[in-house]
Amino acid sequence: MELALLVLIGAPLVAGLLSLGARRRRWMEWLQCAHAAVLLAAMSVVVINVAEGSVITVGILLRADALSVFLDLMLAFVGATGLLYALGYMGEELTRGHVLHRRYNRFFCLFNLYLFAMLLAANVDNIALMWIAIEGSTLSAALLIGFEKTKAALEAGWKYIILSFVGIALALFGTVLVYYASEHVLGVSMEALRWEELYRVAPDLNPTALKLAFVFVLIGYGTKAGVAPMHTWLPDAHGEAPTPVSAMLSGLMLNLALYAVLRLKSIVDRTVGVDFTGPILLALGLLSVAIAAIFLLVQRDYKRLFAYSSIEHVGIALVGFGVGGPVGVFGGLFHMFNHALAKSTAFYAAGMVVLRRGHKTIERVTGLIRQMPLVGGSMLLAGLALAGMPPFGLFISEVLIATEAYGQRPWVAYVFLSLLAVAFATLLYQVSRMALGEPTEEDIPVTDRTRRFTTSALVVNLAAMGYAGTHMPGFLRDLFIPMTRLFGVMVEIP
Amino acid sequence: MGAIRPDIASQMVDLCSALLLLTCFAIVAQRRLSACVDLFALQSVFLAVTAALVAFLTGIHHIYIAALLTVIIKVIVIPRILKKVIERLNVTRELVLNVNIPSSLLICGALVILAFYITQPIISLGFLLTKDSLAIALAIVLIGFFTMIARKKAVTQVVGFLVIENGLFLGATAAAYGMPLIVELGVFFDVLVAGLIIGIFTHRLQDTFDSVDTSKLTELRE
Repeated sequence: MELALLVLIGAPLVAGLLSLGARRRRWMEWLQCAHAAVLLAAMSVVVINVAEGSVITVGILLRADALSVFLDLMLAFVGATGLLYALGYMGEELTRGHVLHRRYNRFFCLFNLYLFAMLLAANVDNIALMWIAIEGSTLSAALLIGFEKTKAALEAGWKYIILSFVGIALALFGTVLVYYASEHVLGVSMEALRWEELYRVAPDLNPTALKLAFVFVLIGYGTKAGVAPMHTWLPDAHGEAPTPVSAMLSGLMLNLALYAVLRLKSIVDRTVGVDFTGPILLALGLLSVAIAAIFLLVQRDYKRLFAYSSIEHVGIALVGFGVGGPVGVFGGLFHMFNHALAKSTAFYAAGMVVLRRGHKTIERVTGLIRQMPLVGGSMLLAGLALAGMPPFGLFISEVLIATEAYGQRPWVAYVFLSLLAVAFATLLYQVSRMALGEPTEEDIPVTDRTRRFTTSALVVNLAAMGYAGTHMPGFLRDLFIPMTRLFGVMVEIP
Repeated sequence: MGAIRPDIASQMVDLCSALLLLTCFAIVAQRRLSACVDLFALQSVFLAVTAALVAFLTGIHHIYIAALLTVIIKVIVIPRILKKVIERLNVTRELVLNVNIPSSLLICGALVILAFYITQPIISLGFLLTKDSLAIALAIVLIGFFTMIARKKAVTQVVGFLVIENGLFLGATAAAYGMPLIVELGVFFDVLVAGLIIGIFTHRLQDTFDSVDTSKLTELRE
């Protein structure tokens, strides 16, 4: 079990270093496919063990409980399909001569290091080391966003650097405040930073210090999660980054940042009760949904469209955690999971459109389903899922969150549902206008070699998305019970 | 703590932290880019002295390592990178600011008061030796934040970011007697890499836009 956890975290690091030495494209393809397989295998072992009720610890540095493993599940699964997709996408860029072989290798090195930093952050048993790992993911993401070196990519990269570095600095201040409070109880030592110890002594910590810490951490990691009003870097970064990176940013990094906020919430709630963190999360969540719903309307660029949809979905999850209760917390977590699947599918499809049409303007893209049935179909299905249509998981979580909100404060449910209706209509309109109709533009053909990778990534993701929407896998159900217990509630899943 | 009386020791730490805060104001009042970088290096010297002082007074030896790393990374390496960037630029002074200097100084004064007000309820948790450091650390973080908003040039925004880092570091070493060593090493590594990445990006901005004026980054708008 320990070994599986170490392999899961170590594989991306090893693969990242090896990929710098891949002299041929074929070597890179073998390397990354093996990497994806190892990720999936190690993740399955870890998930199955933790779902049976154990907590995996390695020394004093790593600890995988249900919440960490929930993140591992998303990181490894979407990471693996992301690797396949990136092989196709970047391979095509290589064939067309848009990137040189050295930069192709460097892309995969950064991409793997990015996965490594995120996996480490999710499993490290230490609030400060988690900060370091998240900062590491920020740094690698900055280089990935600016990878294409165009004016727009540079601008997006710069905005990302400035906003998220400041955000992450504030999160460090919050972390220092937690330490400041906990060393008062536990003494100046490593113990004062470990999750288990923090959970144990949480009721004795100074409430004011923890409240202050939560505010700093929320602003800090909230910036990385794209929570309004700190979201302004997000559409630019998602729009301008190479598409495999956009998919990872949206599907994985936002969830990782939410994970960090949730960890803190679960500690602060034990100290001061849910009445402090709940309303703050609820307010920011509603604001994010509102801003996203408005800006979805005016988008002309389909990658930015999906980026704003990510802000919306982060907001929905926050509303779930904000209203709290077993149903709200479960809804929020389930929402994160399904969003990771649906949004990465949407970006995989969007990336294929970028390759085959050569631009990102919504108005000029029509008739995708006729011209490229798989890509168009996946985009339409992912669009339906993201808009919140049944039979996809996002529908279930949105209904659950709305129900819980209605039970507590009806006005929250009214506001929430009206905003969702606006977002639903616009997203569906924009996506169906691209997918349906007559194609008006020439298709730029992609090589079969590219298609092999991108198609498998799309199909696997679509299958997982459909499966999770209609059926709750047993291991996932077993994970949800200890996860919700972390927030002081118990969920009952039929 | 040896022969030094506790109240004198506490005042020495306070003096050093206050000098850190003072250099923040100097940075806010400075228009010349290279002088801003020099002031940042000076501030890092004060930071290293504060850390060394805390290490000496408390006997927690690993804080010496942090002080040493501060000297290497923040006094020598990062200022040198920034100076290199400035050499390539076509401007040495920042003529147009988002907020003019007298109002900036007033706002920073208000930020200091705010920082002391916010931290008032939790000051009692800290150690006697460094009881005011947390408030000063927060004040430095807020001023760094403000500098990033008030300035337009990429280089001064970077200096603002580094000032925030210094404030955080003061908070970690002085107020909390240093994080465990592995954490500090990690933080330093991240700061160093962040400095390098920012350097790379500023180069690319200069090459692509022929300027480091961030108000020219206007392609991505709604």
